[in-house]
Amino acid sequence: MPGRWSTEGSAADITPAWAVGVSDGLWAAGCRHVVYVPDNPLSHILAALARDHEEVVTLLATREEEAVGIAAGLYLGGAKPALLMQSSGVGNMLNALGSLLLAYQIPAVVIVSMRGDPGEWNWAQVPMGRAVGPVLDAFGVQHLSIDRAEEARSSVLAVANLAFSTRTPAACLLPRRLTVPVEGGRS
Amino acid sequence: MTRFEAIGIACRRLTDEPVVASLGHPAYELFAHGDRPLNFYTWGSMGLTSSIALGVALARPDRRVIALDGDGSLLMNLGTLATIGGCAPGNLVVLVFDNQAYGTTGGQPTATAGRADLEAAARAMGIERTATVRDAESLERILDESWREKGPWVIVAKVDESAPGAKPPLDCVSIKNRFMEGLRQ
Repeated sequence: MPGRWSTEGSAADITPAWAVGVSDGLWAAGCRHVVYVPDNPLSHILAALARDHEEVVTLLATREEEAVGIAAGLYLGGAKPALLMQSSGVGNMLNALGSLLLAYQIPAVVIVSMRGDPGEWNWAQVPMGRAVGPVLDAFGVQHLSIDRAEEARSSVLAVANLAFSTRTPAACLLPRRLTVPVEGGRS
Repeated sequence: MTRFEAIGIACRRLTDEPVVASLGHPAYELFAHGDRPLNFYTWGSMGLTSSIALGVALARPDRRVIALDGDGSLLMNLGTLATIGGCAPGNLVVLVFDNQAYGTTGGQPTATAGRADLEAAARAMGIERTATVRDAESLERILDESWREKGPWVIVAKVDESAPGAKPPLDCVSIKNRFMEGLRQ
């Protein structure tokens, strides 16, 4: 997969094209605040934001439910917030999704790094990962999967338009086939 | 000092401050002291009051932002003290009404009825401006200080339970729209 070299210049700092696309999409959507609970693939998005869009404030939360609360406050204060979390974190945020974001019609772009989907090796990640789509459906939260790097920017922008125009949370899922390509053996 | 009295002491200082109130009794009593557009009443998401206020404070550094939290609620989301300590917004005042009970759900004891100390938790998470107060005079004094001096502040007010006499409107979307409109002015 083509990547751009970060300014640090070491091989470990290659920012994959999908992460640049997500970062550019968030920027183009007007998101200047990103609240996150980290995981490995998401670190590429954070790196792309730091490199290409240093105006974007990234804020570490201790838990995804807390991140939803902070994002809601940011929106109330006039910002367009994005949330970055792993699929496991979707489980951690559900009551806040329902009783804060949906009940009050507070939008957020939610970027979900998937575990438990094809490419997974850790069984403990599988049940929550399988449930992400159905759970978001149960809450009426629209979501799409970014399957190719070239789609990343436009997908994030489309989800952001839906979110901020209609005042609802909406999600982009990042499957492992995108974020952790398997090149033989365990990924 | 009851929670109703303590909330009244805070309300008398309000001018253009946005206030985020924890669901149940704190929100009810904030409303009872006088409804205003800049009151954000939560009706759910227990535990997130101070996190919501943190978000508002970060988006609007020009305003002092007040969280009216409860002991049971904050105990549900103690991690947010670490986040507040870490990003240290000078314009955030977290006022925790500690009645040592889940007041809205029937008065079951919280951990602060035992050995838990929320001010100590805040300090341990890097929040330097903290206090625990037990009477109206001390609360008046520390609130005056928190209005003057940069925060973030975490003020734990030990209070007796009071019986709320009113409830804010249930229309969440109107609460939000009014709050955002108020903040734009």
